[in-house]
Amino acid sequence: MMQKTNSFDAGFIAKIFGLVLFLYLFLGFMVLPCLNTLTSIFTTRNAQGNIDPFAVIKFFMAGTMPLFVWNSLKLAVCLVITVNIVGISIVLLTEYFDIKGANILRMGYMTTLIYSGVALVTGYQFLYDSNGMMTTWLAQMFPMMNRQWFSGFNAVLFTMTFACTSNHALFLRNAIRGIDYNTVEAARNLGASPFRVLFSVVMPTLLPTLFSLTVMTFITGLCAMSAPTLLGYNSINPEIVRLAGSSAADESFPQARAALLSVILAMFTIILLSILNHYERKGHYLSVSKTKAKLVKQKINSPFWNIIAHVYAYVLFIIYMTPVVMIILFSFQNYPAIRSKMLNFTDWTFINYLGTQNYEYMTSRGRLRTRIGSVSGVFSNADAIGGIRLSFIMSAIAAALACVIVVLAVSYIFKHRNKARAIVTESCLLFPWLLPTILICYSFRIFFNREVWYVFGNNLYWRENVRILIVMAYTVTKLPFALRMIKAAFYAIDDELEDAAKNLGASPVYTFLKVKLPIILPSVLAVFALNFNALFTEYDMGATFQSSYGKTYAMIIQNMTMEEGREGYNINASGRRCASTVFIMIVSGIILYLVYGVGARDLGERLEARKRWRQRWRRLTGKKE
Amino acid sequence: MIRLNNIFVKFGDFQALRDINVHVKEGQFYTFLGPSGCGKTTTLRTITGFIEPSSGTVLMNGNDITHVPIEKRNIGIVFQSYALFPTMTVYDNIAFGLKIKKLGKKEIDSKVRTIASKVELSDEQLEKAVSQLSGGQQQRVAIARALVTEPAIICMDEPLSNLDAKLRVQLRNELKKMQREFGITTIYVTHDQEEALTLSDCISVFNKGVIEQTGDPNEIYNHSKTKFVANFIGDINKLEPSITSQLALSENHNHFIRLERIHVERNSDSGFTGVIESEEYYGLYIKYYIKVCGQVLKVIEKNDGFNIYKAGENVNVSINPLDIMSYPKE
Repeated sequence: MMQKTNSFDAGFIAKIFGLVLFLYLFLGFMVLPCLNTLTSIFTTRNAQGNIDPFAVIKFFMAGTMPLFVWNSLKLAVCLVITVNIVGISIVLLTEYFDIKGANILRMGYMTTLIYSGVALVTGYQFLYDSNGMMTTWLAQMFPMMNRQWFSGFNAVLFTMTFACTSNHALFLRNAIRGIDYNTVEAARNLGASPFRVLFSVVMPTLLPTLFSLTVMTFITGLCAMSAPTLLGYNSINPEIVRLAGSSAADESFPQARAALLSVILAMFTIILLSILNHYERKGHYLSVSKTKAKLVKQKINSPFWNIIAHVYAYVLFIIYMTPVVMIILFSFQNYPAIRSKMLNFTDWTFINYLGTQNYEYMTSRGRLRTRIGSVSGVFSNADAIGGIRLSFIMSAIAAALACVIVVLAVSYIFKHRNKARAIVTESCLLFPWLLPTILICYSFRIFFNREVWYVFGNNLYWRENVRILIVMAYTVTKLPFALRMIKAAFYAIDDELEDAAKNLGASPVYTFLKVKLPIILPSVLAVFALNFNALFTEYDMGATFQSSYGKTYAMIIQNMTMEEGREGYNINASGRRCASTVFIMIVSGIILYLVYGVGARDLGERLEARKRWRQRWRRLTGKKE
Repeated sequence: MIRLNNIFVKFGDFQALRDINVHVKEGQFYTFLGPSGCGKTTTLRTITGFIEPSSGTVLMNGNDITHVPIEKRNIGIVFQSYALFPTMTVYDNIAFGLKIKKLGKKEIDSKVRTIASKVELSDEQLEKAVSQLSGGQQQRVAIARALVTEPAIICMDEPLSNLDAKLRVQLRNELKKMQREFGITTIYVTHDQEEALTLSDCISVFNKGVIEQTGDPNEIYNHSKTKFVANFIGDINKLEPSITSQLALSENHNHFIRLERIHVERNSDSGFTGVIESEEYYGLYIKYYIKVCGQVLKVIEKNDGFNIYKAGENVNVSINPLDIMSYPKE
């Protein structure tokens, strides 16, 4: 009896502790900062010094602020069109139509999986700006062409169109592969042409996926940050960041205006996600076939359209691959070649990666000066190394924290399935999904830029503390993704496994550690790796916090675009940026391989692989089995 | 060995089990048979301890185990999905329960290898992942894992339901062989009447949370106590008044007869005259649909290669009143 009382006490205390901790984290790091942002809009003082709930709104309506909203909407709408055109094209060209070299084309189209964010934007800028290699080449072909074409809206739309097709490459591809080929054959048998089959049979089954992709693209366009900031386009997010760094001495209530813009963004996001959620609940087209046939690629019978399709496929391939190839090549070039944006095939170097060199230059007074160690590789440059180290540590901590929180929460949710407390817990973790990243980060920045009692009276935006704030923001924003993925993994656990372990005498903790956790571990590690990958080169949050104590790797890369050109300082910043991009591609590539290659193997496949390795090793060493 | 006395189980407002009484004797192969949702798995889970009854007692060797925790009941379970731990090798799966009991490494190894050889799992298979085994091998692992801890009884919850028909028959025979070899008391849950009849020493037929009949396979099949049991076990004909009136059977009862108890002959004066409507050829036997007195009767005749009837042929159908099972009309 005594033992029972103790276990009751321990369980009760654990429950209370868990509840208090959950409330502390949810209220302290989600609700209160965002609520503060919302209330700041309506507590602004007007010119007379009185609190005027509508002061900011009046200012918003009277000034140029609607332009930012309009610009963001324009970008989002245009992106939906261009991304869908390119995204559907790349999937059809590699999965549906019989195009020669489809495997190579697919690899090219999928480069955005490892080459994205600020690295991609700066890469495109490097190639397409007024003196960029591609613009120069195009201007030679078309002398009437405007060399400044790659700026503002055009540049952002062009860059984001090709950057945002990753989801199409993944999800639409899966959807098209799920089509039962017998339905295509049936339509052909009834006399439909390949294009008629495409529009009448194939496309309708892809509509639900396309709808989801369209909504996600719209939100991406609306919340775009790195491309508008780096390429110069006045949309909502860059303006929020600018206002967040401004003061009342410079302009009228900048903080409240930033808050208003972020709330407008949040409203759009909530409406769009609600529409998406509503649509997803209506269900998808499911194949009713029990003996599904694998899709066979369709030949384009008309020679004319076949050639057009091939040309189109390879033009897209060139657009996708050129920045990747050029960035890799330029990362092995000296700074004169990079500065002139002309490849020098006789002179290759590793200086952009490792080591330092002195830089000699002539001053305007004709003196020869030397800057010692001014030319440095990405792994020999203190700033770059610092950025990599900081991003690595913060991303790893945040990715791990998100996984731990979600694993514990999902375990709780499954234990109390269909109960109100489980639904509440899940909703709390999905809360950040409804809010744009910028709103969360902006709210953190403003709310914690003072001494807050529940973080032991610390100002979390002050000096090195900002790193804690960034980690918190990283963690919070990655919770919904982690929840969706890890919850799906928990669903895969057969309830009978738990019963079996219980029957064999295992305690709940032992069952969790030895039975459930090993099953979900590949998914948890995948979530960790994908979150880490996304955060390691994350730009939007780093830019919102704008702190010299929290300079992330993406911010360092952005700085590399600015540093160049100053006399003798960081003269190979562009080269280092190219090397950084190559480094990011390698890191992303390894992570994706580990997640989808090695991580996707079950125990049987791993044992088989181990056996093969042993056999190879024995053959190599000449040992008998 | 195991005795369930007046077990009632309620889930919210739903009465899952009503007054269940079962007595499983030592070494018996005891089957709970019934359609989906009839309460057979709930009864099994009450025995294993996953469900606590609303009232009634579960006795094991005379001891009340109604409130004893699952792990302390000493009952092995083979689950419907086998519930093999996918992240462990076959060896680790079998050793799982022994590790929890904190036995020494050597003892665990010896016990695992002994039980593995008994269920015909090789050393090589022990090092494999469960996903690398066939359905039959997985079943053996599940049985070995349940038996290695030396339980007093073993409970099996539809362990053959996920397999294809041919493998199901093969494993059914192996299961019976193993049960005889180990001599362990076995409680088996199935909805497959053929499985129940071939495997069991004793069967309890469940329907809507109650036991309709308990008995050996012959009793259950040939002397079905209720209309439900008669209908559920095997195929059966319900005789219409046009036939029963000629046999002078009570009008207050429903009358049933098994297919193989009806006899068909050519050129005979006995019984009813009928016309073959259609036939289904099964090889070992032939199933005929014969129109007799306005009712179509299903009849099974052994395929002897000579007496084969064709559709449209006139035949004589004889029914022995002693073969008729009668139940009062509801």
